[in-house]
Amino acid sequence: MNRLLCFVLALASLSLSRADVRVVTSLPDLADFAQRIGGDKVKVDFIVKGNQNPHFVDVKPSYMMKLKSADIFFIIGMEFELWAPQLVDGSRNANLNVVDLSRAIQKMEVPAAVNAGMGDVHRYGNPHYWLDPRNIRIVAGEMVDALTKASPVDEAFFRGNAEAYLKKLDAKIVEWQAQMKPFAGSRIITFHKSWSYFANWLGLVIAGQVEPLPGIAPTPGHTSELIQLCRQGNIKAIIVEPFYDMSAPEQIARSTSAKVLQLPTSVGGVDGAEDYIALMDHNISTMAATLR
Amino acid sequence: MHGLARFAPLLVVVAALSNLGLSQTTLNPDISVIPRFLIESNDGEKLSQGKREFSQPDFQFQELELVIQSYLNPFSRADVVLTLPGPDIEAASLGIEELYATVFRGLPLDLNLRFGKYRVEYGKLNLVHPHAWPFVTQPLSQTRFLGEEGLNDLGISASILLPTGDVYSRLTLDVLRGGTIEEAAGISDTSGSKPFYANSARLMGFFSLTDESDLEVGLSTLTGIHDPFHRDRFWYVNGDFKYKYKPSMYTALVLQGEYLYNTRSAAQDQAFQPFLDAAGNPEARTINSSGFYVYADYQFFKLYSLGARYDWSEAPYSNDDRTTGVSVFAGYYPVEETLGLRLEYQHFRTEAPGTATVVNTIVLQVLFSLGPHKAHPF
Repeated sequence: MNRLLCFVLALASLSLSRADVRVVTSLPDLADFAQRIGGDKVKVDFIVKGNQNPHFVDVKPSYMMKLKSADIFFIIGMEFELWAPQLVDGSRNANLNVVDLSRAIQKMEVPAAVNAGMGDVHRYGNPHYWLDPRNIRIVAGEMVDALTKASPVDEAFFRGNAEAYLKKLDAKIVEWQAQMKPFAGSRIITFHKSWSYFANWLGLVIAGQVEPLPGIAPTPGHTSELIQLCRQGNIKAIIVEPFYDMSAPEQIARSTSAKVLQLPTSVGGVDGAEDYIALMDHNISTMAATLR
Repeated sequence: MHGLARFAPLLVVVAALSNLGLSQTTLNPDISVIPRFLIESNDGEKLSQGKREFSQPDFQFQELELVIQSYLNPFSRADVVLTLPGPDIEAASLGIEELYATVFRGLPLDLNLRFGKYRVEYGKLNLVHPHAWPFVTQPLSQTRFLGEEGLNDLGISASILLPTGDVYSRLTLDVLRGGTIEEAAGISDTSGSKPFYANSARLMGFFSLTDESDLEVGLSTLTGIHDPFHRDRFWYVNGDFKYKYKPSMYTALVLQGEYLYNTRSAAQDQAFQPFLDAAGNPEARTINSSGFYVYADYQFFKLYSLGARYDWSEAPYSNDDRTTGVSVFAGYYPVEETLGLRLEYQHFRTEAPGTATVVNTIVLQVLFSLGPHKAHPF
């Protein structure tokens, strides 16, 4: 009888220690980090697919269902996910811990003032900080803290996984920097202001955007100005996320020597970018080949 | 009082909050102003004179919505929608379209409670403010059975998510002051009787069919007293669906429709003429009638939309009085929802015993949205 009781207690303690922390992230990139840090002690899902524009997400009840049963919701923050509060409220989950991963990020392009005449400017700064892999150490730290709060007994496990992943990422950062070093100072154009952190990290110069203002569709006049800029300014590449319309970038490319590069900003944005390191591998190698 | 002057107290409050020098995001509610204007012409105005010609296009102020929204605390939020109705922009006075608080978190069973005056979750379109419709005019069945303002009443609402696994399904129950339906029929309650409550319920389910397409279906019911003098009751049953296919951020197709079935006992018709039996004595009758609309709206290049709607509706007090209509509409939204133009052509045919009338209408709607009013959920 005692043996049976011990067996049942052992089973119960095993099941308790392996209880999943249910995590939902806004982006698949964050889901990749959470999975690597949480290992088999987390169950991870995400909202926006890598080939979707994360700025514009329909407020679907199915997303609310994902959050209804979640313990943690990791978001980029800085009002990048303007749709998130409606999902959180709609989930009716009083215990959901919404973790803004941008808190300790050194923010770029923080405007002194914002009004709608400036386009879709983020008032807390440019939120695309995950495209500088050096920021992932900060993101991972926030994730470890949140996961530990949800499952304190697993703190060492989370920290160990995070350190192992960051070690691997650090090695890749050195590799990526070496790959891009010859192209420091190269001038590029981007469709949207998504690449500021990426360019800052690698010493690239962003000479302009295809959007006349953030979130505003390309206009013939602005496209014409960019054609002039490309001709005069030795622009080699126009970076466009896969979800944007290619018409204006291709028009610029046809009239100049610049090449259009479709680069994803998130995991799953193109075939082969199945995790963050693969995503950055794809972006770095594609860009290096174009700038060469 | 001059209509616009009634904004003054609100503006004083907003200015005072701004002068505190504190973060607007933490103190001030979100405030949005959404006016709609119309230019309209139809060929039905001189039909009584035997002439069919389009009227001179008429500039009209349709309505202004002033939307104020904010969290009250971590568990609840408040929404206020003040409206200044057209067509006389100078003489109109500000009214309360919605004024309610919602407790969305922290209640047992994840219950969601709402109280105040609000657009009732009855069918699909009733929850959507007119500025967010893809067309200009309200579907005919909604106008006839719910009224021009839709089902919007004082009440208490409770909703619960049902345990249906990964499928989102929700049951919403409302107890309402009542009176909306009788007002829609033009009946003023001068009976002096106690209020007769109305009760509404909606069961909905949301299904993600693929990554790009979703379907929502709903079944609603509403019952109340439509004639306070005779204490006659009505029952509505409403089925609705919305399908959305969105393969990219530039393209989307929406198909939506609702069917409403009405049954009511009545002692008089909509013109307040009593029903009489063969001997000329007053009699109560049971009236069964219905209406539906269905529309398709196709968005392309993100900026443009094209759509069509079919309307068919009988009347609440008669199934001999029916109207069918076809509308085609186009929209242009140069910068998301901040500015919009909608052009609509309607062809409506109304039949009543002994008469048939056809009216064609062309209407251009212009609207803008000043402020952070959020997109409506799916």
